[in-house]
Amino acid sequence: MGSVPDFAADLTHPILYEEEWDRITAGIDAFEEGRPSHIAVISEPFAGQDVLMKGILRRNPERVIHLPFFSIVKNKDFLAQISGRRDIVVMEHCHFLATRKIGGFAMLDAFLDLLSTSDRLFITQWNRFTWSYLTATRHIDTFFPVVIDIPEINSKTLKNLILSRYTDEIEFVAEEPPHENSLQNGRHREVKFSIFQKDFSLTLPRIFGSETGRNGISGVHQGNPEDTAFDRIIRIADGNYGVAERIWERSLDGNTLRVADIPEIPCTINLDINESFLLTAILSMESVSMVDLAEIAGPEIHLKQTLFRLTNQGLVNENKGYFEIKPESLSCVKGYLRRIRMVW
Amino acid sequence: MAVLNDTLGTETSQIASAMPGTDEILTIILTLVVAYLIVRIADFLLRRISERAGRYRITVTMVIPLIKIVVYVSAVYFIILTIFDPGLTELALFSGLFGAAIGFGLKDIFADIVGGIVIAFERPYQIGDKIEVSGTYGEVTDIGLRATRVVTPGDAVVSIPNYVVFQEATASQNAGKTEMLVMIDIFIDPRSDADLAMDIVKDALITSKYVYVSPSRPYTVLLQDFPFYRRVRAKGYVNDLRSEFAFSSEVTRRAWGELARQGISPPPPGHVVVDDAGD
Repeated sequence: MGSVPDFAADLTHPILYEEEWDRITAGIDAFEEGRPSHIAVISEPFAGQDVLMKGILRRNPERVIHLPFFSIVKNKDFLAQISGRRDIVVMEHCHFLATRKIGGFAMLDAFLDLLSTSDRLFITQWNRFTWSYLTATRHIDTFFPVVIDIPEINSKTLKNLILSRYTDEIEFVAEEPPHENSLQNGRHREVKFSIFQKDFSLTLPRIFGSETGRNGISGVHQGNPEDTAFDRIIRIADGNYGVAERIWERSLDGNTLRVADIPEIPCTINLDINESFLLTAILSMESVSMVDLAEIAGPEIHLKQTLFRLTNQGLVNENKGYFEIKPESLSCVKGYLRRIRMVW
Repeated sequence: MAVLNDTLGTETSQIASAMPGTDEILTIILTLVVAYLIVRIADFLLRRISERAGRYRITVTMVIPLIKIVVYVSAVYFIILTIFDPGLTELALFSGLFGAAIGFGLKDIFADIVGGIVIAFERPYQIGDKIEVSGTYGEVTDIGLRATRVVTPGDAVVSIPNYVVFQEATASQNAGKTEMLVMIDIFIDPRSDADLAMDIVKDALITSKYVYVSPSRPYTVLLQDFPFYRRVRAKGYVNDLRSEFAFSSEVTRRAWGELARQGISPPPPGHVVVDDAGD
């Protein structure tokens, strides 16, 4: 069976996000010659950005001060760690520096004050949705001349990454899903209406909120089953490496993968404003504790009830007291929150 | 006299020949019913689609008045040309009758219909917009051939005749967008720390669950001194205009919670004069 590779362990290995890696190393090398040009690495949850951060730590062990954050930062103690002779500061999960509440930007401001006057090079990693929010509200992008946005991966890259884990051959079965009646397959819906108190119904194509999500259309590759499988996985995952990996694992049966077994993920979300706001907070912080969520929610939101509803709808997972977006629902959640303008 | 009788006889027969028979009347009724059904179905479907379209909601509903105009005008065109098939004489007669009808009291309805056409094509406002016309403020729920229906914040449905668009200024708060600028005023004691108050109000605004900020939709917080109080005015965009009052209320409530914690108090009672000027 396969194992998760540590791409950063061998720096000669063609790493995931090679182009982005080259930009970071170029930034580090250029820093030796002059003023720091701070770097922000922006990514969605599960996108695999940790590979880059680990790579930096392994490449420059003598030069790096490493500051990973795992929960909302509540005091300025972390600034004291930025001292000594090391000239590169690698900060992971910087979205925990800001909280969406009154007075919730104090730690961010303290960090930006330090960054503005420091001779060190800061390489920071941010959640894409927090970054967009802070760019719009606090112009944080002006502090980072180099912004590296982790891109979606394509099916060829995914195929290379996943198959490189296996020594045994994986059998791909080009089994099409059974052809359902096109009027019942989720891409159509029955609309009922009444005129003159008489009820009518029409079967119409579904335009918004498809049951199969944004990428729910068929579009299956007609080539070999291997390419078909990876095309389909990457389409459902919306190019997100972590989500694609999860779908792969769910679909694989021993050493066999049937194309028909790759699950299309239902996407019907209907939330009130409080649920949407909490979902936005979880999406923007990736993995957040109940205590931190309580601070963001404030007294107006019934936290436990709202989290229960989000979990019940299959949008959120709880793992040891931390809440995160369910990977399979990421594409659907993003689309919904963008549509209602909760994330930008 | 004989000539006069001949002339009258000719005109009477022309009018009689222009009058529709039973079949034609049924066809006219059927045409109007079909047009009405098409409009109702299109209206229903587009509203359903628009409610699921999120920020594109108003773009979708924008099509509804256009469809109404096109369908009804097509129906009338069909009735006139296909059923009556008018010659020059019938057209002259029809024009005369039409002119008389306008003169005898249908001119307001005609002005409304023309106003409806202007609104549909020029789009001074659209279905879903928040507008202020003739002292009425609310969300446009329908633009008909004769009148525009607006639902006020108090949930009253107000019908505004379409001809008003020719006579009065109409203010659309959002101009076809889902987001809308909202002004929120907080009045504080003039002895309070104004910088701290502005910071708190700014944070309350940008951390609101209703806020939308982008380079083209910025926020601002302004301070103005008055003799007995200071006004902190926050201007920001609500992500959906339907949440206008919830946004304002949430920001005010959260701001006052923090202002009170920081020892900032409201001005002495009896001195605040609300100024609605949009500065």
